[in-house]
Amino acid sequence: MASQTTFEQEVAQLIVDSLNLEDVAAEEIEPEDALFREGLGLDSIDALELALAISRAYGVQIRSDDENNRQIFQSLRALSAHIEANRAAS
Amino acid sequence: MTGTQDHPQDILPLLADTPAPLARIGERTVSRAAFLADVQALAARLPQARAAFNLCQDRYHFAVAFAAILLRRQINLLPPNRGRTTLAEIAGQYPDAPALVDGPDAEIAIPVLRVSACGEAGESAEPIPTIPSDQTAILAFSSGSTGTPTVHARSWGALHAVTHQALECFGLQDGAGPTLVGTVPPQHMYGLESTILYALLGHATLLSQRPFYPEDVRAALAACAPAVLVTTPFHLNACLRAGLEWPQPERILCATAPLDPETAGAAERVFGCRLDEIYGCTEAGAIATRRTTRESDWTTYPGVEIHAKDDGIVQVQGPQHPAAVPLPDHIEARDAHHFRMEGRLADQLNIAGKRASLADLNRRLNAIPGVLDGVFIPPEPSTDARGVTRLAALVVAPGRSEAEIQATLAECLDPLFLPRPLVHVDHLPRSATGKLPRQVLLDLLARHGECA
Repeated sequence: MASQTTFEQEVAQLIVDSLNLEDVAAEEIEPEDALFREGLGLDSIDALELALAISRAYGVQIRSDDENNRQIFQSLRALSAHIEANRAAS
Repeated sequence: MTGTQDHPQDILPLLADTPAPLARIGERTVSRAAFLADVQALAARLPQARAAFNLCQDRYHFAVAFAAILLRRQINLLPPNRGRTTLAEIAGQYPDAPALVDGPDAEIAIPVLRVSACGEAGESAEPIPTIPSDQTAILAFSSGSTGTPTVHARSWGALHAVTHQALECFGLQDGAGPTLVGTVPPQHMYGLESTILYALLGHATLLSQRPFYPEDVRAALAACAPAVLVTTPFHLNACLRAGLEWPQPERILCATAPLDPETAGAAERVFGCRLDEIYGCTEAGAIATRRTTRESDWTTYPGVEIHAKDDGIVQVQGPQHPAAVPLPDHIEARDAHHFRMEGRLADQLNIAGKRASLADLNRRLNAIPGVLDGVFIPPEPSTDARGVTRLAALVVAPGRSEAEIQATLAECLDPLFLPRPLVHVDHLPRSATGKLPRQVLLDLLARHGECA
C-alpha cells in the first residue's frame, strides 16, 4: 500500500478531482510512480488541467521552462515537493 | 543578401524580403540572412532522398529544416503524431526519408538527423533562393474513414497563395512586424501556416519556443510585444481560467475548433485586443476567417470560393487548390464567399482541436491481436465546460490487459484519442444488423461506472 505524506494525500486528491479520474482512488496513487504515460497514463491536456488546479489551490504557476519541468511531473512525490517549495518561497 | 525582384510565375521566393527578423530565440533575434545561412548549412547535410520527416519541436529548428528540405527539392513529411506505427506506415512509402529531429526522439526506428541551428552560423550573402511553385512542399495526413491515412500534398505555390491571403486579412504584409507567439505545433496545418509561413513570407517574426502553460504564454507575450497570439480554443480557455494579468497582444488568432462567442468576447476583454478565428482543415488548409464577437458567418479568404453540391457536401476552391476540395464539416453556404459551420460530419471527431475519424479509430482498435470486438464512444459535445472530454471504449478481449491495449493504441494514435475509460465487456450489444446504438453503449458504460 502506498505511504503518502499528508500533503501528498492532498495533492493526490487534487489530481483525481481536477482530472475526473473516476476509477482511480487518491490514496492508491503510489508516491514514486510515474504520473504520465506509464503509471496513471496522463497526457499534455492533463498536465495543463493539473497546472490550472495547482495555481488555483496553491498560487503556484507551473512553467515549461522550469529547468526541471519533467521532474516536477515525474511523480506525486516530486510534484508535491515542488508545490511545497514554491508555495513557501512566495 | 540582395532583394527579390518580381519572379516569373513558375518560381517563388523562399523568404519575404522584409526587415522583420525571421525568428526570436529567447532574448535574441535572428535576421533573415542568418536564417538563410543555417538553412544552407543544413541543406548541405541532407542525404539524397525524395522526402524527409520534419519532427523538430522547436519552431526555429522546424523552420530551418522546412526550408532546407525545400531547398534540396525534397518533401516535408508532417505526420499527424509520433507513434511508432504511424511513422512506420509513412516510412513504408518513403523508405529513404530521414527524420529531422531536435528532441529526445530516441525510439524512432528511422535514421535521424539532428537539427541544432540557432542563428549563429553567420549571415548568408547570397540572394534569397527561389523554389519552383509546382514543387511539393509538404505532405500532411488525415485519418479517413476508409482506414489508410489520406495524404494531402501542398505545392510551394499553394502555400504561398494561402499565406498571402492570410497576410492580407490579418495586416501582416507591413506594419509593426509582430512576433508570432504560437501554442500550436508547427507540424499541424494551422501551426505551419500561422507560425512558420507568416514569418517566412510576411512581415512577422516567429518565436522559437512553444509556450504551453498559461504562465508560459503570459511570459512570452510580455517578452515579445508587439505580439500576435496564435492559439486554439483549448489553450485560450485555459488562459482565461488561469486568472492572470495579461500583457496586451496586437491580435489573437484562434483555430482548430469553433470558438463560442462568449469565450471570444471574454478573450477580447481580458487580452484587450481583437480576436479573429480561422476556419481550415488538413484537406484544404485555411480558407476563411471571422471576427467571432461580431459575426457568426465565415468569410472566405480573398480569391477563395465555396459551392454546395447536391449531396449536401460543400466544396472549396482557391488559387491554392488544383481541384475543388470537399470540406469535412456540415456547412451551410450563404453565397460563394460566406458560410455558416453547423457541425462536423458524423464520422469526424475533434478532441482539444485535434481531428480524427471515428471509423479509423475503430479499425485500429479492432486490428489489435486479441481484440475480438471493440468500439470507441465519442463524448457528449462539451457537457463539461471545465476541461476536455475524452473518448471511451468498450472491448471484448479476454486475453489482453487494458495496459497492453493502450500501449498498442499509443503507437498509432495521438495521446488525446486514447480511450478513458477502456472497459472490458463479454460482448458488445450489437443489434440484429450489427449496429451499436449509441444509447445502448452509453448505458453499458454507465453500468461499468457503478460497478467500479
